[in-house]
Amino acid sequence: MSDPHLHIESLSKSFGTVEALKDVNLTVQRGAFVCLLGPSGCGKTTLLRIIAGFEQPSSGRLLLDGSDITGLAPHRRGFGMVFQSLALFPHMSVAENIAYGLRLRKASRQEQKDRVEELLNVIELPHIADRPVSALSGGQRQRVAIARALAIRPKLFLLDEPLSALDAKLRDNMQIELRRLQQSFGVTTVLVTHDQTEAMMLADELVVLSHGVVQQSASPTEVYRHPATPFVADFIGSANLLPATVSPNRTLALLGIDTGVTVPSVTVGALRAAVRSEAISLARSTDEGATATVTFARDLGPVTEWLVQAQGHEIRVRGASHAAAPQTGDRVALQFDPDRISIFAE
Amino acid sequence: MRIALLPTEAGGSYRLTILLLASLGVLVSALPVLVVTIMSFSASDTSGFPPEGYSLRWYGDVARMFLEEDTSSAQSVVDSTLTSLLIAVIVMGISTAVCVPLAYALARGQRRVRAGMELLFTLPLVFPLVMLGIAFLLIAESLALDLGLWRIAIPHVVLVLPFVLRNCLSAMNGISVEIEEAAISLGASPLRAIWDVVVPLMRAGILAGLIFALIISFNEFTITFFMYTIDVSTLPIWMYSRTVSSLDPSTLALSVFIIAADVLLIVLVDRLIAGKGNLF
Repeated sequence: MSDPHLHIESLSKSFGTVEALKDVNLTVQRGAFVCLLGPSGCGKTTLLRIIAGFEQPSSGRLLLDGSDITGLAPHRRGFGMVFQSLALFPHMSVAENIAYGLRLRKASRQEQKDRVEELLNVIELPHIADRPVSALSGGQRQRVAIARALAIRPKLFLLDEPLSALDAKLRDNMQIELRRLQQSFGVTTVLVTHDQTEAMMLADELVVLSHGVVQQSASPTEVYRHPATPFVADFIGSANLLPATVSPNRTLALLGIDTGVTVPSVTVGALRAAVRSEAISLARSTDEGATATVTFARDLGPVTEWLVQAQGHEIRVRGASHAAAPQTGDRVALQFDPDRISIFAE
Repeated sequence: MRIALLPTEAGGSYRLTILLLASLGVLVSALPVLVVTIMSFSASDTSGFPPEGYSLRWYGDVARMFLEEDTSSAQSVVDSTLTSLLIAVIVMGISTAVCVPLAYALARGQRRVRAGMELLFTLPLVFPLVMLGIAFLLIAESLALDLGLWRIAIPHVVLVLPFVLRNCLSAMNGISVEIEEAAISLGASPLRAIWDVVVPLMRAGILAGLIFALIISFNEFTITFFMYTIDVSTLPIWMYSRTVSSLDPSTLALSVFIIAADVLLIVLVDRLIAGKGNLF
């Protein structure tokens, strides 16, 4: 089912000599929840601000339902936006904040009142309509900001790190809430975040950015299982990046251990492999071939995390806790899950 | 449990010194107000201090001056007061109309431009007022136009601008760009966003600036002294004219009213910008 809603076409943006975005191409499906993910300074906020219309791209186009909106003024786009600071109007009550967009659209008083009531019910805060914004808690402000943006029935729902100011527990709740709201409104959503857990929790599609370049754009599972670049492998769930060699029968060897993964014959030059910590298993061994030593082990309850020293590399391993699990100082043999190794050319 | 900020043990003299200095400061700044207030209740015609007796006769004189037709001087106190007020209103209007957009532009513009402009607008404050008065007189005379009230209103605007601008700027500082963008994303044109969001949030600063403009313009003497004419004169000039040859104690009674009004206005400003940045 493909129904493209927003289309970003070879978009670039420079600030002076600094290239913030380089040739970004992206298609957002109708009703999808897209997360722009990356470290700070990767260009994700710039991309969101270009979509909102607050910045103009240096080159490239933005298409909404096939029509070019690149030069359209932000107040004519009809996109609801939630800002990092939330940017609620402090001189207006909660109801006035939510109704502001409708007032600009010259909706009747009754219409405004009904919509405000409807949204306050949706965000489960039906009794706060007449309160001043200053009397709200952090989580309530968050919900009001979301309600204000959704009140105008936006064509696109844009969020710029909206949950970063909340404490961890509240943030978890708001993530579930946000996802629920987005699905019940069926609104196409683009959210910017630097928090990979948040992105994986919310997104239908993850767009990983680094230095203004889209590294990968796929479902969270796909991004996690099959990272497109070493950067993605490291940024999402911090995989182990290891040098790899190819054996004569064209299978991949990591740290001298044959993984059984067949390497495409076209690859030349040095290779690197990314292996998730949970795709490695440890076996206690007194065998001469076991060259790895456990330097750190910590039982976290359901899982245990190990740090293993092997041939000058420190490898993170995570696996189910059990009584016979290797302890610090044990010599171990490593085993890699062949389905979960990603190979990159150096 | 209360913890004293100042040392109490073996610190008695330290405490006393601070208390003395503070009292001295308050006394010096309050002295003129005290003297004027006490003198205004004097019962005698002479200007000796302290007065020999007390009465309300000078307040009666002030009331009479305002209520009855005055024939003793060229311009009556009523005319001067009205002129002063009218000029103050013009000055308030112009300075706000200039400073609100200017503060917006400076706050949203480049930092360096802002620093330069702030300095430029503060310049009249460091200029010797007498020179400023002469300069404005030369300009007014060379224009060969009948400027009417404007010959006083324009110099007053120049004097008042730094105060109004500072207040508007510090009000602008608290308004993030995001809040404007929020209004725009909801469908407000950039101008509409300023009107709906920025101006209401600047209101306290604008009002504080207006009150400053009123007080400064209403009390201004030096420049006005160069600019006033037989037809256009302000209350401070009138008061001065009544004290040149000999002190008229009714002027003191009038001053007490003006001081009371100023104090009220300053308290109002203090309320308006409480915790919202600095006065100057």
